[in-house]
Amino acid sequence: MQLAVNILVLAAIYALIACGYVLVYRVSRVLNLAHGELMMLGAYLLLMTATQFSSHWLVAIAAAVGLSLIVGVLVYLFLMRKMTGEMVLAAVLTTVALGILLRGAVVFVWSAQQQYPAQRLEIANFAIALPGGARISLCAALLVATTALVYGGLLAFLRFGRWGVRMRAAGQNPLLAAQRGIDLHAIYALAWGLSTLTGALAGMLIALDSGLDQTMAIIGLKAFPAALVGGLDSLVGALAGALIVAGAEVLLIHYVDPLLSEVVPFLVLIAMLIVRPWGLFGTREELDRV
Amino acid sequence: MLRKLTAAAVAAIVAWPASAQDAYTIGLTGALTGPPASTYAPAVEALRIYLERVDAAGGINGKKVNLVLQDDSAEPSKATANAKKLITQDNVILLMNASLSSTYAPMVAEAKRAGVPLLFASGVCPKDVYPPADPLLFCTTAYAANYDSRATLAFIKETAKEPVKIGFSAMAIPLSRGEMDFAEQQAPGLGMTVVGKEVIPPPTPDYTPFATKLRDAGANWVFSWAPWVTQVRTLEALRRLGWQGDYIAWSHLEAEGELARLKDGKFYVIGANALFQDELPIHKEIAEAAKKAGVQYPAQQMAEGWIAGLVIEAALKATAWPPTPAKLAAAMSALKVDTRGLRGGPIEWTKDNHFRTRQYYRVYRWDPGKGAIVRVKDWTAFDVK
Repeated sequence: MQLAVNILVLAAIYALIACGYVLVYRVSRVLNLAHGELMMLGAYLLLMTATQFSSHWLVAIAAAVGLSLIVGVLVYLFLMRKMTGEMVLAAVLTTVALGILLRGAVVFVWSAQQQYPAQRLEIANFAIALPGGARISLCAALLVATTALVYGGLLAFLRFGRWGVRMRAAGQNPLLAAQRGIDLHAIYALAWGLSTLTGALAGMLIALDSGLDQTMAIIGLKAFPAALVGGLDSLVGALAGALIVAGAEVLLIHYVDPLLSEVVPFLVLIAMLIVRPWGLFGTREELDRV
Repeated sequence: MLRKLTAAAVAAIVAWPASAQDAYTIGLTGALTGPPASTYAPAVEALRIYLERVDAAGGINGKKVNLVLQDDSAEPSKATANAKKLITQDNVILLMNASLSSTYAPMVAEAKRAGVPLLFASGVCPKDVYPPADPLLFCTTAYAANYDSRATLAFIKETAKEPVKIGFSAMAIPLSRGEMDFAEQQAPGLGMTVVGKEVIPPPTPDYTPFATKLRDAGANWVFSWAPWVTQVRTLEALRRLGWQGDYIAWSHLEAEGELARLKDGKFYVIGANALFQDELPIHKEIAEAAKKAGVQYPAQQMAEGWIAGLVIEAALKATAWPPTPAKLAAAMSALKVDTRGLRGGPIEWTKDNHFRTRQYYRVYRWDPGKGAIVRVKDWTAFDVK
């Protein structure tokens, strides 16, 4: 039972991070390689709001989530918007530069030491006993619940929401969407905002569970294979990819060798690229264009 | 007017190298940013403050100390470029490393090529500084491969009230893995049963799968010798799984603050530096200096850098002016520095031993009854041969 819980928690982490990659790629065809750093920035924003609202953890988290959304929108408005009409590669390289900048900025502002937002917010991260002798920490349980809510919300938003439908339209055919009067810049800004928000949520919950340091940016990259395995333009695919990668990782740690956990996501990715390069739920013709 | 400005500029250009040559120029490359920076940056900051104090007090032998800092983000390629720059452009007489062990090999190569002594000032001491030591390599850092495991296992044997079933936790980097392999080999000879060893890749989003294996293996003691993040997150994951055993880890810079944060009565830290709870006069001195300098890191994390400062000051004092790398290396090969209680004894370097002749260990833990950190075992000495 504990194994199943471990798989579920790791899958939730990967899925919550991966949906940020998918949102931006699906709408603008840009691979955001600064997603890990934006996720880390979100966690550090929580540290900042935790100092301001230490006795009101819900307010602190809500403020950090709001700030993350704004950061995502600003990244688009002041950086990625300038890349409109340029080669996709130029936009991707811009995200690499953004990532390097954010990593330096975080050390400059918050120093290199380990931080514990849960301690500042006085959140007791106690263990919850589950049937079958399994246990899960409060923050890990919250992470699983948040992932379910985020995916449910995003899928409903993209299917039924006015702006969600516009986002899908812009992703499928930007020219036609623009001719129909859809403001592409507003759609792209929204996609970047939502992507940063979901990544930041993952960063905040991981930081609440086990602490915060600069390695978090690399955790963001570890979730990338999950998005690719599922199909880079599919939210359902990201969920499935996260489950496959997390399942393979936890089972190999338990039954074979813990060292394999580092390479497993990429082994799964290579296998998928050989068999089905566009991923489990990805769109073939879209990826052919890349 | 233009002629005056030109003359002033020329004078400044000519005067700058002269003033730089009028100081002991030493250079450090370290992980000031990047994933492992939390272990190294506070030590470098402490060293910087220490040397600024020395300069403010008149310098060494009447000369200032010019410390050139370079960030390598724990990347070997950057460390190599930094070492080359420090040697060829800054003309340093001493190179220092405060970074991951993966940066050592290229830096050692550069130092040897240029004949400049290399001091490991907060990264783990390489075996090249143990007897018989490499003539150019020196180390002031508290932790030391093999000696640390011997001391830890001896403490576990002495403390355990029931047969020890031990598990190990390492980070997937060569030195940490090597040390846990060494401990795994030593433990059966001390009557312990080895039940598991987890080598955890950095970074890991969730330590629970690794902790689950240690718990399920039936360990009643777990020993971890790894960067702090691996040590403490493995412990926290074990506790969340309901594991009630004893856990011992290396007392890195973060240890004191973390013992107080976790308040876990069965979490021990073993190390070679005295914690600030001992309230030595030198601890107060460090705390005041850190406060005055307005550093970002807690004073408790500055002992390692302070010790490096004490040693560098003593080494430069013993180096006749004008200093050269060869003169400094000779001075460092016959040095004895009083650590004023920060360590169990002096740092003593000889021609063959550039680590220390005796390594001392202390063990601390949180005492839930007293609500404070307590010393569990006082200095225990191990001869370095």
